Amino acid sequence: MRERFALQYKADEHRRMIGGKETIIHCHHYNARLQHTIEHVTDVDGAKIIRDSAEAVFAEHVANVLEEGDDEATRLAAVGALYAHLGFGRLELSRAAEGVVTSDQSHYVEGWQAGFSETQRKACTFTEGYLQGALAAALGRPFSVREHKCMNAGDDRCEFTVDARHEPVLRNDKRPSDFHPKAADGHGEHGNIDEQAIIDALVQMPFMGSDEGLIPAFGVYLALTPADFYNLMCIQFVEQMRAKGLFRTAQRLLTFAGETCAMNTFRGIMASAEWDALIAPMIQHKEDALYGLMALSNGFGWGNWRVTEHRPAETLTIESLNGYEAIGHREYRGSCDDPQCFMLCGVSAGMMELVYGEGLLEDRFGTFLSEENQCICTDAPCCHFEVEPA
Amino acid sequence: MVHRERSYACIHPETYKYFFHVDEVRRIWGVLQACYGPLHHTPGFGVIEIQSERFLFRAVGGGNPITVIRRRGCTDADVEALHRRIGFFERA
Ligand SMILES: [Zn+2]
Ligand SMILES: [Zn+2]
Repeated sequence: MRERFALQYKADEHRRMIGGKETIIHCHHYNARLQHTIEHVTDVDGAKIIRDSAEAVFAEHVANVLEEGDDEATRLAAVGALYAHLGFGRLELSRAAEGVVTSDQSHYVEGWQAGFSETQRKACTFTEGYLQGALAAALGRPFSVREHKCMNAGDDRCEFTVDARHEPVLRNDKRPSDFHPKAADGHGEHGNIDEQAIIDALVQMPFMGSDEGLIPAFGVYLALTPADFYNLMCIQFVEQMRAKGLFRTAQRLLTFAGETCAMNTFRGIMASAEWDALIAPMIQHKEDALYGLMALSNGFGWGNWRVTEHRPAETLTIESLNGYEAIGHREYRGSCDDPQCFMLCGVSAGMMELVYGEGLLEDRFGTFLSEENQCICTDAPCCHFEVEPA
Repeated sequence: MVHRERSYACIHPETYKYFFHVDEVRRIWGVLQACYGPLHHTPGFGVIEIQSERFLFRAVGGGNPITVIRRRGCTDADVEALHRRIGFFERA
């Protein structure tokens, strides 16, 4: 089964393709934070946005990895194997036909335990949506899936009920973007960091779920999530918030999730054995850590972004040639009037706070402000971020 | 003498790097493999690691220091057992 998920790496675009889908590497902390952000706004039904987005994307993704002639057992095995390969955890699907699926390892539960352990709530909305889409692809009919036991709520495993439903499976409707990124002309500042060596190491690294379906690396749990999922979820969240006159709030929340991701995830990464092995020996000045983090995020499939100007501890200017948020927005909705790269915008500020800030992380939040002042979504040739002290 | 320093990992707030005497560390990895499972070399970054149910043990190629990441479900008893096996004693 694993050979169906073999990585195809597009070096020129920094894209990681698995089963015909562009996948993005993010950690359990960011994924849980994003879910927490979207589900805790009472003005919209955040859980439905997450579930619907996962259903539409994974119905397509699982269909991509099925082969003609697969019997039902093989098709169900593909549902569990793709989920585990991408690092989301371990599913037990042998009773799916009776309407029960369980899970004893979960990327999202790890994220909630790390960030919001006090919540004690069911946390696996993403898995509900994954199963709705994946089971529909495998069994050829639509389902409604709800979690009723969760490890994050103290149960010994997560348990989902699977019910037949009438509404058809959601479709992942988008059209290829007509945007052509400008060439990466080799400009950009890298300090003492050998970006290509870092990207080469990441491509060699076998990012795939262990027997438990988890990917512990860099001191965090990583997952390979289709860019489509992040894009569909964030676009719908922003649209529904905008309809309530809350566009700025949505923008601020998604940017904050990126800032938090940079501070927590990147701090974990900078304390990891991987960092010590390859990146720490390249570092001669403080700013090299920032260049190292940029190189890593390029290797994680976030796109191709680079520093164009930097005054250490003061200002930072970054351009992004093909960030997944911008490309995704153009694929799903075309161009628009406002910049849409909230994650990269928040990460830009978070990196400055992490690399140059002092003291507790919580005291550093908001000490730098970032703005995306031009975006591929608004027909600019690249996205452009400016960071300065608050 | 084994000593440890607080490290940071998103996986668990109680993460430490354990520093061993250079003559000891090879034996320690042997103990960890016997108790917690096989050693893997991850291509790319040159990291060695053991993944077990309650702990992740990770190091740069030379093997020292060893980052010990506790996993969900890891108990005080698990930590005490580990400390006995690697000869780590907290100073009173
Ligand atoms: Zn759960
Ligand atoms: Zn943009």
